Amino acid sequence: MKLKALFPLTLLFFSSLSSVSGEQAPWLDKDYLDERTRQLAPTRTAAPSQWRVIWTKEPSTRATVSWTTGKKGSGHRVRYGVRSSSGPKLTESIVPQRSGAYSSANGEYFHHARLSELSPSTTYDFQIESEGNRSPLMHFTTAPADDRSFRLLFGGDSRTGINARGQVNLLMADLSEKDDELIGFAHGGDYIVSGRNWSQWSTWLSQHELTVAKSGKVLPIIPTRGNHDGGPLYDEIFDTPGGKEKNYFFTRISPEVALVTLNTEISAGGEQRSWLAQTLADLRPEVRWLLAEYHRPAWPAVKSPGAAKKFWVPLFEKYNMDLVVESDGHVIKRTVPIRNEKKDPTGIVYVGEGGLGVPQRSPKTDRWYLQKPGMAGADHHVMRITFAKKSMDYEVVLLDQSKADSMTFLPR
Amino acid sequence: MQQNLIWFLRILVVIQSLGYAAKLAAPSALNSYLLGSMGGSFVSGLDHSVWLFLLFSSAALLVLGFLRPAASSVLGKVDFALLGLLALWPFTLAVFSFLNNMGDAFHATDPIGHAVRFAAPLALILLSFNPNPLWQTRVDWLLRLSVAGAFIGHGLCAWWIKPSFIDLIVGTLDTLLGQDLAASVSRQAFAEASLPVIAVQDFILVALLLLPNRKIRTVAMWMAIWGFVTAMSRMTAYGWGNWHDLALRICNGGIPLFLWYSWKQNHTGPTHS
Repeated sequence: MKLKALFPLTLLFFSSLSSVSGEQAPWLDKDYLDERTRQLAPTRTAAPSQWRVIWTKEPSTRATVSWTTGKKGSGHRVRYGVRSSSGPKLTESIVPQRSGAYSSANGEYFHHARLSELSPSTTYDFQIESEGNRSPLMHFTTAPADDRSFRLLFGGDSRTGINARGQVNLLMADLSEKDDELIGFAHGGDYIVSGRNWSQWSTWLSQHELTVAKSGKVLPIIPTRGNHDGGPLYDEIFDTPGGKEKNYFFTRISPEVALVTLNTEISAGGEQRSWLAQTLADLRPEVRWLLAEYHRPAWPAVKSPGAAKKFWVPLFEKYNMDLVVESDGHVIKRTVPIRNEKKDPTGIVYVGEGGLGVPQRSPKTDRWYLQKPGMAGADHHVMRITFAKKSMDYEVVLLDQSKADSMTFLPR
Repeated sequence: MQQNLIWFLRILVVIQSLGYAAKLAAPSALNSYLLGSMGGSFVSGLDHSVWLFLLFSSAALLVLGFLRPAASSVLGKVDFALLGLLALWPFTLAVFSFLNNMGDAFHATDPIGHAVRFAAPLALILLSFNPNPLWQTRVDWLLRLSVAGAFIGHGLCAWWIKPSFIDLIVGTLDTLLGQDLAASVSRQAFAEASLPVIAVQDFILVALLLLPNRKIRTVAMWMAIWGFVTAMSRMTAYGWGNWHDLALRICNGGIPLFLWYSWKQNHTGPTHS
């Protein structure tokens, strides 16, 4: 009798839990996701759609606002201005320096407006205009020029699992909305299955609008090329980050934080290695937090090591990287600190490994570098890193906003 | 066909299968293709099952090679089935590697570039179960065409300057000459200059190999040496731990060597006129 009496209470308890979860993560409900997807800007019209903000080299003073139109059109521009409490004042205007037809598309065009001479740690309102059609009013915040703390999201592999990709995007928008210190997002590559397929890119680009918070806050993206991102569309979508046929560069996000983005789809051992050695030698004495990101892992949780292991890992160890972010495996992983192919408290920690919607694999948990204090798991996720004076905090956030992993790093 | 030649082919297939088994430490192309529809647990189980099969087959092929069962016997049929499946696996991987990377020119060459890997078990089936000399001629052409496929596939990748080929050369130079960061740029330039030359060499060798009514043993030997050298480059560039990358490419050099030895036997054999 007592058990029977408890049943309604138990039911109430679990339904309240489920309603909390629904409120915290409404994107888990397919109807909600479908509704948000229906609200994406239509493509194939003269109006702007598929907007994104791109960061590459100097995000404290520069950003590229990019978008798509379904026709070549005219009158393309971005109106922008420093956000003020008295409402938007779009005092500046810039026309795209680069526009053109997407390769193998059906008449869609890309536009890249490179904003410069921005003020650090400043929120800019902006609105995109094409042939008199205007995008919603949006905003982004430039990177700091001082040593204040901030956060970035990291993640890779959004190439399949389109619903899950939409869910992760909505999660990112929610994290961004609630957190003024969250200012950017580094994508580790493999956006879509076939890099030469415009239709797949177009879906990804439209879904990328879901990362825009309801307030209009946009997380600038720092792109990385993955093995599924071959062909010219990547450069057309992200404005050739790092230069043609290179796509490697470093982003000085603040005076104390630098992110080196590498390209595993070109030679790792030639020019790129030479550039990496020089870049790390220059950056290491200057920054507190030095990170690298690339697609194919050196310390994979599922696959075989890529060329990065031979050509880049010795440099990571020489210059004492604080964290290296990898993708491609479709799992969650954090290695033990590694130096000279051994666990070493002074070594480099590698995290990843791709969960922005792609179906997850079972990690090879018997690999030595995934043993405790390392970890491995599988779930759709995004990584959030907080850069501060005294520590760098790393967390893995799952779709339901729970934490799958976390670690605090101290300055070297 | 002499038994020692059939044994040589059998050993090549065993080494190749062990290489494929070791390669399954990472997900196969079939795993990647099915991941979205079948889920992580299923594809992991699939790879594990194939791994067990490859290990079992490698051992069984050696035993059956000693037993030499009649084609109509149960063991003969087992041998036939194992070889058929060992031909099917490399073919499946080549096709799914292509499908997983649609639009990627390098991966598009996989079905022909890997031809020698699935032709070797097929040739062994034909030679073991069809001792008729007519079949020997057909097998000879099957193997010549598969070697041609391997050299055309790799030649095209070299002509298009495949980045991983650059790193094989740079990594090998690092091993031979010592790692020198200052030389990285010049070593990449050397690799980029060498690859088109290598491609032309590959295409010329294919043309000579496929000449009708000619069996140029020097060409077969050259292709054997080059096939082994390039397969070995996976180890010279990335270390001995990558032995499986050599093992699964063993037929790249092994089949041209088989052709060379076969042509030599025919030339010096008592029935040759």
